[in-house]
Amino acid sequence: MDLLFQFLSNTGYYLADYRHIVMLCVGCTFVYLAIAKQYEPLLLLPIGFGVIVGNVPFFKGFGLGIYEPNSVLHYLYFGVTSGLYPSIVFLGLGAMTDFSSLLVRPKLMLLGAAAQLGIYFTLLSALALGFMPKEAASIAIIGGADGPTSIFLTAKLAPHLIGPIAIAAYSYMALIPLIQPPIMRLLTTREERLIRMSENERVVSRKELLLFPVIGVILCCFLAPASIPLLGTFFFGNLMRVSGVVDRLAKTASSAIIDTATIFLGLTVGASTQGDVFLTPKSVLIFALGAVAFSIATASGVLFAKFLNLFTKDKINPLLGAAGVSAVPGSAREVHLVGQQEDPGNYLLMHAMACNSSGVIGSAICAGILWSFMV
Amino acid sequence: MYGIQAINAHNGWSMAIAGALIVMSGLSILSFIISQLHNILALMEKKKKTGDIDAPSATESMPAAMADHDLSNLESSFSCYRDETTRLGSAFTLQDLFAVFQKCDFPHPHLTIRSLKEEGYLVPAGEGMFSWKK
Repeated sequence: MDLLFQFLSNTGYYLADYRHIVMLCVGCTFVYLAIAKQYEPLLLLPIGFGVIVGNVPFFKGFGLGIYEPNSVLHYLYFGVTSGLYPSIVFLGLGAMTDFSSLLVRPKLMLLGAAAQLGIYFTLLSALALGFMPKEAASIAIIGGADGPTSIFLTAKLAPHLIGPIAIAAYSYMALIPLIQPPIMRLLTTREERLIRMSENERVVSRKELLLFPVIGVILCCFLAPASIPLLGTFFFGNLMRVSGVVDRLAKTASSAIIDTATIFLGLTVGASTQGDVFLTPKSVLIFALGAVAFSIATASGVLFAKFLNLFTKDKINPLLGAAGVSAVPGSAREVHLVGQQEDPGNYLLMHAMACNSSGVIGSAICAGILWSFMV
Repeated sequence: MYGIQAINAHNGWSMAIAGALIVMSGLSILSFIISQLHNILALMEKKKKTGDIDAPSATESMPAAMADHDLSNLESSFSCYRDETTRLGSAFTLQDLFAVFQKCDFPHPHLTIRSLKEEGYLVPAGEGMFSWKK
């Protein structure tokens, strides 16, 4: 009988408290959103299930939890804390990215830069709310709307906040269809949303495509060397794609490798949200600041496009500014959809992808800048 | 510490302004470079093509301008032509003369032979044969 009671006292049912229940509900919500609503399922499904796995109560000291040395989850989590998974994800992302649209419309890169202003606004807000500089920088990077970049920087500056920051970043990326359109509509008039971009199409030569990753990595990494782990692999992945001589490698990087990294990244980040370390007032503040960061980033891009329109002859559709955040391709898709609601014949997708890909570069540079400021 | 006081204490304003300026200037420069990339490549291609014309390979024949110069100086070249064709004998066909000119890499053999005929350096010797002017 004693053995039975001892066994029962070690089960999750006995050890569970309200925090586990709350986090299990959060995990189930993520899984529901991924499957039923198809909100960024590639991210929310592994994270949601990771939240469920990480919040199964267990007897401490068995070497089971993600924060316990020598546990399987702890080893898998090393890829997050070391910044390994984000680098691998960027490699795959580079191998998947087509920069042709950006090379045809280079001025749209400025919108990708403007959307990063949300990061610095959030940095100030987080400092004002009492966060320490390293924590504030990690929270601010949520404004880049780039999950791997947020995880990378947080792993370097404030590892204890990886859980809430990663969940906030990925949640807001998944909620793009709910967050961005109201901001876009609020800051633009109908006439502005109807602007059609000039079709200045030209064929991008192979030499341009080959030179871009080389120029990009030299220019960006010289500017912010701390972004080498992200931009180095990103541009290398792109060079493999455009070189045409290592198709096998490029294909593997853009499929098997990035998929593997995404699975383990999502699962372990989800599992790192154990109720006892996740449900704190700080996490609530991080979620609130993340929403501010994301909204300000969207607004900055839109407003900067309007500002550019004051001086340029070829008007830019200000909706494109919202695609300056680096949530690829979610925000570009949303910009296209909002544009089409006003004018079904207005195709903004390729223009938005140009802003989106420059947003990826911009947020990685910002991560490098913030990291170097904190050293 | 909270609010503006916290921002000031942690050098927040400087970090935010410097960070925003760095990323804006970095991407602006990159944007400018890629906007000029196709122009630079086009210029390099054009220069390469021009360079090919200016510096012909050794195996290529001499340009027409140079040949014209030689043709205007037939008198000075005449002895050279005559020496190279001594093995043909005193009379020869224009076909044999053409073969020798080709073998010796003389520029524009057809044009040179025609000029030599017109200037009287090559004189008919009967039965389709020619000989050098005495």
